[in-house]
Amino acid sequence: MREKKLSRLSKTGSAALVSSVIGMMTVGAAFANDKLVELQKDEANWVMQGKNYSADHYSTSKQINKKNVSKLAPSWTFSTGVLSGHEGAPLVIGDMMYIHSPFPNNTFAINLKDPGTIVWEHKPKQDPAARAVACCDVVNRGLAYWPGDDKTPAMILKSQLDGHVVALNAETGEVHWQVENGDISVGQTQTQAPFVVKDLVIQGSSGAELGVRGYVTAFDIHTGEMVWRWYATGPDDEIGLAKDFNSANPHYGQKDLGLKTWEDDAWKIGGGTNWGWYAYDPDLEMFYYGSGNPAPWNETMRPGDNKWTMTIWGRDADTGLAKFGYQKTPHDEWDYAGVNVMMLSEQKDKSGKMRKLLTHPDRNGIIYTLDRETGDLVSADKMDDTANWVKKVDLETGLPIRDPEFSTRMGHRSRDICPSAMGFHNQGMDSYDPERQNFYLGINHLCMDWEPFMLPYRAGQFFVGANVWSYPGPKGDRQRGIGSGQVKAYNAITGEFAWEKMEKFSIWGGTMATAGGLVFYGTLDGFIKARDADNGDLLWKFKLPSGAIGHPMTYTNNGIQYVAINYGVGGWPAVGLVFDLNDPSAGLGAVGAFKELARNTQMGGGLMVFALDGKGPYDDLSVGEYEM
Amino acid sequence: MKKIKTLAVTGATALLLTFGMSAMAYDGTKCKASGNCWEAKPGFPEKIKGSKYDPKHSQAELDKQTSAMEAMEARNAKRVENFKKTGKWSY
Repeated sequence: MREKKLSRLSKTGSAALVSSVIGMMTVGAAFANDKLVELQKDEANWVMQGKNYSADHYSTSKQINKKNVSKLAPSWTFSTGVLSGHEGAPLVIGDMMYIHSPFPNNTFAINLKDPGTIVWEHKPKQDPAARAVACCDVVNRGLAYWPGDDKTPAMILKSQLDGHVVALNAETGEVHWQVENGDISVGQTQTQAPFVVKDLVIQGSSGAELGVRGYVTAFDIHTGEMVWRWYATGPDDEIGLAKDFNSANPHYGQKDLGLKTWEDDAWKIGGGTNWGWYAYDPDLEMFYYGSGNPAPWNETMRPGDNKWTMTIWGRDADTGLAKFGYQKTPHDEWDYAGVNVMMLSEQKDKSGKMRKLLTHPDRNGIIYTLDRETGDLVSADKMDDTANWVKKVDLETGLPIRDPEFSTRMGHRSRDICPSAMGFHNQGMDSYDPERQNFYLGINHLCMDWEPFMLPYRAGQFFVGANVWSYPGPKGDRQRGIGSGQVKAYNAITGEFAWEKMEKFSIWGGTMATAGGLVFYGTLDGFIKARDADNGDLLWKFKLPSGAIGHPMTYTNNGIQYVAINYGVGGWPAVGLVFDLNDPSAGLGAVGAFKELARNTQMGGGLMVFALDGKGPYDDLSVGEYEM
Repeated sequence: MKKIKTLAVTGATALLLTFGMSAMAYDGTKCKASGNCWEAKPGFPEKIKGSKYDPKHSQAELDKQTSAMEAMEARNAKRVENFKKTGKWSY
């Protein structure tokens, strides 16, 4: 095993950065990684944001099911003491739950036997200036877990808005290491959850609205040492392309395009940050994520296809080198940042061949399915038929065939572009039910007007260059500012939607599916809902103290299945509410789109946990009581 | 009759211009090479440097991110080195 990996590394000169470290890591890696894979299979746990490496957000638990979900009631709650948008979900490993908050990025460990008592907390002191360079509220998408080995104790990994990645002892909360992965003085922040593969902590980057050149970095879990770092733009040896990059699909482009598709040095401030979700295939030893929008938003200022922003990446976990990259929106004109969730499944394609697939609902309104071994494009369907910037995606060339009527350019206000910059899908962590072969999508139904303007780049300052006005799409109610959300069940092989339902507001946080035949999700106006996975019928809902922009999760403890969700309205859709803005184009176009939200919910911050009949740890009245 | 003819010609010209512009417009499918398919939109330059759309970025500003990354990597490397030596993390 070790020899194979070292031999592969020796063939990739640019990755020799710290090859000796990787070699050392791989000796113990198999053990730690296997442990994490096993933990994922146990429904007592929720060990990563996507639930498992496939990021399918699907639980086999069925104690809560279609027949009894109406009896779901609050079991216990937890306040983070922080306002602003609460994205992501807590982790559960055994009897411990780990809860995160938005800036100042506090972390709490609680024991599920008595969740009213905090076991440890980590409250970092951050430079408050970090808030000023956060794009869209001060959200954080959650924690990661590494299970430990004979050298190093189990760790909770967190990212901070000020650019730090921190490894905490999972038992004590003590800082094991803390490294810099972003400098706020040049606009680099962090909102994304770390992702653990083997003994690596993989961390993305945020800040494309400030011209940050995106990068993905791996740190050694034991020491915090940087193992590799690869960028989204620039020279190939800084992007990290394997020798056989895109060999299965040369028409996607191969060499030197990180420079050739930019004018002069524009790639240095060209965006492509990757603040979304990651997935991993332990058999292929490849991980997957998307790079985001090019900077600035004003397309006239950056001639070229702007590679490799807006790209679905398949990279080798040990070296980080890219085996394939498929750019979904070349020369983006609408801020369709390509960072959304990557869900892995094994399904038969239309010809009956079983394939390893990756399905990605993109901001641009297209849901893509690729062969995750080769990068072959299998399908590319509109998530809603109102998407109009693109006529269709040519599956042979992989190119979107654009409708010039909805292009953007200097000196022109483009109207009624669908989707809006917020996308038909954003950071929501969606789900895949392997029994029904349905992807359950939480969707934004938003369109926009767009008018670019010129501005020079100043490091650490906003570098957007477009005014945007978002509003509900044609199926919603623009006058009343509602009807901006949808929930849909999608089959990636047939391209058909089993069902679809309109929602009052965007479904920002994503969905969770269970073997109980249920699809759970939270809403911006503060409901958690459960629908019938087969037909979309609404079976249960509960009004939370504040709007939900995180994803639901589930775990089983002491024989009881729980469903939990963060509440705390905020994030991009609620910047108007959080910062009390009224100009409809403020908040990068979000304020107008969600002008009605403040009449439906207000700020808050915490976690609500539900069980059938509200069962839980405090059914035993002695739990948490004063003991002599 | 003459008026009708003039109108017809004018209409046809307008139609031609509309379709002509549309056909010329950037739809992302005319590639110079694999993965390199961008075209300038009608009325816009291939290169913005020296054009009225030149943002005239300062080279010093453009290079600041690279410097920041190098500095961070150097600081982190020192922290790791110390950690390996002492077994204690010092920020």
